[in-house]
Parts: sequence; structure tokens; C-alpha cells
Amino acid sequence: MTEARPGRRLAVTGAATAALTALAVYGVFFVAPEDADQGIIQKIFYFHVAIAVGSLLAFAVACIYGIRYLRSRDERHDEVSSTAVGIGVGFAVLVVITGSIWAKASWGTWWVWTDPRLVTFLVVLLLYAAYFVLRSSAEGERRMRYSAIYSIAAFASVPLSFYSVRVARSFVHPVVFTSSGANMPNTMLIWFAVSQLAVIGAFLTIMQVELLQRRADKALRRVKLRLETSS
Amino acid sequence: MIAAARPAWGRQLRALLLKDLRLELRTRDTAVAMVLFAVLAMLIFQFAFGNRGDDLTPYAGGILWATLSLTAVLGVGRSWVPEREQGVLDGILSAPVPRLVLMASKTGAIYAYLLAVEIVAVPLVAIFFVRGSVAGDLGLIALTCLLANLGIAILGSLYACLALFARARELLLPVLFLPSLLPVVIAAAGAVNAVAGGTNDLSEYRGYSLFLAVYAVIFGLVAYATYDHVFDD
Amino acid sequence: MSTGAQYVVAAYGVVLFGLLMYVVVLGLRTARLAREAELLARLAEREGDGDRSPEPAAMP
Repeated sequence: MTEARPGRRLAVTGAATAALTALAVYGVFFVAPEDADQGIIQKIFYFHVAIAVGSLLAFAVACIYGIRYLRSRDERHDEVSSTAVGIGVGFAVLVVITGSIWAKASWGTWWVWTDPRLVTFLVVLLLYAAYFVLRSSAEGERRMRYSAIYSIAAFASVPLSFYSVRVARSFVHPVVFTSSGANMPNTMLIWFAVSQLAVIGAFLTIMQVELLQRRADKALRRVKLRLETSS
Repeated sequence: MIAAARPAWGRQLRALLLKDLRLELRTRDTAVAMVLFAVLAMLIFQFAFGNRGDDLTPYAGGILWATLSLTAVLGVGRSWVPEREQGVLDGILSAPVPRLVLMASKTGAIYAYLLAVEIVAVPLVAIFFVRGSVAGDLGLIALTCLLANLGIAILGSLYACLALFARARELLLPVLFLPSLLPVVIAAAGAVNAVAGGTNDLSEYRGYSLFLAVYAVIFGLVAYATYDHVFDD
Repeated sequence: MSTGAQYVVAAYGVVLFGLLMYVVVLGLRTARLAREAELLARLAEREGDGDRSPEPAAMP
């Protein structure tokens, strides 16, 4: 990470994200055609799916930096890893809430156990809530090491959870289904892509903000320590 | 020329495993308690769901694996107790035993505990919850147990090490262990239900069994990649 | 607005709400950092003034 102008990089990422978000909202509501089957409700998916993918991206980053921490024992890798998990959990909460709204809109109930994505993200929330419980149960070097190991194991659990629900469901409903339609017209696909880019931008922006805050916190702590010992 | 004879890893593994098992056989603490717990869990399920007089046969597989996963939490929590209680935890961690062997011995111990519980739990579930005979399906159910136990044991031994030094160990372990265990519950319950829950769907059984095997492989890889980092240096 | 559209608005509203709540959290954290920084600045200034005055008197 360049020491020089993190502020500049944050501004660029943030501005790009804001622009992409505005573009996505405009496109989703004013340009993209309405879905033939689900009607206007389908529009929830643009951000629901984008945030879901963003959440998984965050957990993947956490896993990668967990591995990097174990190799290097560099505290900064643990910082990135734990920050990424935090953002991933935040996104996952949004996925579950928007998914529940979609379920209510589609099926009249606030929850369905038959949608693999919805169920998987509930499990994901539990998996990564445990990450924070683990983190607070240890201190110092052990905390970072255990967090790194768990970030890897938990990330392995995600596809396993998704596929276990999918496999179970496939025996009940043998037809291959995707709740948003397997063959999407390009007019819809492009706005999915824009929404996804907006969410990825949001992830990167929030990551930078969080890491900057931690850096500031640490620097202040160092100053405090220095002042306290010299007085 | 003095050549120090170092025991092969296989012998070390067997020695460690036998130590744990022999200790268990002598006191029978853990196994008895786990079996009792399993039976109690079954009673809870019966009273929670069955008192309307419904036929619980389609849910027998689910009840079996709900019971086993909760019992597994107990077993995993107990897997380091022999070392802790005898105060040899530091000793064994600094002994010249390859850490992989140490982990493998814990995995083996958990596997054995689970088998011991299943030997009692499976017939009980059949008697309590299944109307109709399961005699023909016992082989397939046993196979499911053998497969699922592998994933559970690997997962459990890894997470038991993470919880080893924690203050609230009994709380931390279930919180860590159960979310990652959920796929096993889905697949194992599905497999048993496929053969014993009224219908007899072998392709479904095979699908779930394949999943259990994949689960064990994936977590085996994760454990193999991270086991060394679990222990303090 | 049709009920379908209401749900869509609710879903997007939740996302927006989440984002704004995060901004609030950021604000609180920044306030705390500012407070600490001010405290440290005052501490440092006091140290600086303390260094200048009493020393010459202590020299033989």
C-alpha cells in the first residue's frame, strides 16, 4: 500500500462508486425492462445479487489475507483480513434483509427455506459471527493466528453450505432453477454488471475508510504512549 | 555409531490414539455421558415434535443427525481433556511428536467416540421413530455414519485446538463448530432419510454420500494446510 | 404505487439506510479520534512549555 496519498486513492474510489451507484439506480429503474414473470419485484435482484457477490468477495479477500498473514505474520495482513470480514458481514445482513423482502413480495412469507442463496447467507452470518467471537476470545499473536485460520475454514464452509442446500433441494424439485432467470436479455445483464461494479466499488471504498481509521487510531495510540512515558 | 531410533509416524499415531482410547476405556466417562446425552436429545425431539401422535418416520434421519451433531459438540469439547486434566498439555505440545500426528490422533479419538455413540443411537432411533423395519438399510446407514464421522472429526479436531486456550471454551466451541457442521447435518440426514424414511431412493443416497465425501476431503485439505499454525511456536 | 413497487422501494430503502447508519458510525469514530487528538495536543503543548522554564534553574 503506498504511503503517499491514500486520501487521493480513497477520493477516486469513492467518487467512482458514487457515480456507478447513481448510474445503476437510474438504469435499473428507468432503462431496464420489467421482468415478464415477476414484474417490478425482480428489480430487487439487481442490488440483492450484487451485494451477495460483494459479500463473498469480501470473505474471499479475508481468506486470502488470512493465508498471507500465516505466511508473513505481518500484522497489517490481519488488519485487512478482519476488516474484510466485518464488511462481508455487513453486506450479508443486507442480503438477508433484502432477500426476506423479496420472499415476502414473491411468496407472501418473510422467509423461505427453499431458496439456497437466502439460506446460505443466514449460515454465512452465523459462520462469521463466530469469527468475531473467536477473535474476542484470544489476544495478541494468538488472536491474529486463530482469526486467520478460521477465515480460511469459514470460507471453505461457504460453498459447502450453498451446495448442501442446493443438493437437498434438487431432490425435491428436480428442475434446474435460478430465481432470476438463466437467460437474461442483455438489456438486463448490463445493469446487473453496473450494479455489481458499484457494490465492488463500495467494498473498496469502505475498506479504505476502515483501514485509514485504524491507522489513525494506532498512530494516536503511539503518540499517547510516547507522551505518557516521557512525562 | 549411535543411531537414535525414532519411531515411525504410524507407530506414534497408534501410541497416542491408544493412550486416549485406553484412558477412555478405563474410566468410560466420556462415552457413557455422550450416549446418555444422545438418548436425552432423542427424548427432547420426541416430546417437542411427536406428542401430536404424528408418525415421525420421515424425520428419523433428521432426528438421528441432530442428536449426533449435538453429541459431537460434547465429544469434540472433551478431546483435549485427558491432557488438560493430567496437566501434561505443555509437555505434549513440546514433545518431539510431529504436530500432524498429534492432530490425527485427536481426529481418530473423536471418530471413535462418534462410532461408539452411533452404535447405540442408530438402533434407538430405528426403534423409537421408524415404523417399519430398517434391518435391510442398516448397512447403508452405517456407511453414512462412517463417511460423516470423518468430516465431523476433522472439523472438530481443528476447532478444538482453536478453542483450547479460550476462557469460555464450552461456549466458543459450539459457536465455532456448529455453523461449519450444518452441511454435514443436511447431507447425512438426507442420506439416512433417503433409505429409511419411508421411501428408498438410492440415487438420492448416492448424491448425499458423495457430498459427505467431498466435505471430508475439503476440510481435510484445510486442516492439512493450517494444522501447523494452530499450535504456538 | 403497486404493492410490488412498495417492496422494491423498501428493499432499496434498507440498503440506503444501512449505508447512512454506517456514515453515522464513521462520524462517531471520527469524533472520538478528534477528541483524543485534541487531548494529546494539549498534553504535548504542556510538555513543551514545561521543558522551557524550570531547566535553567536546575543547572549549577
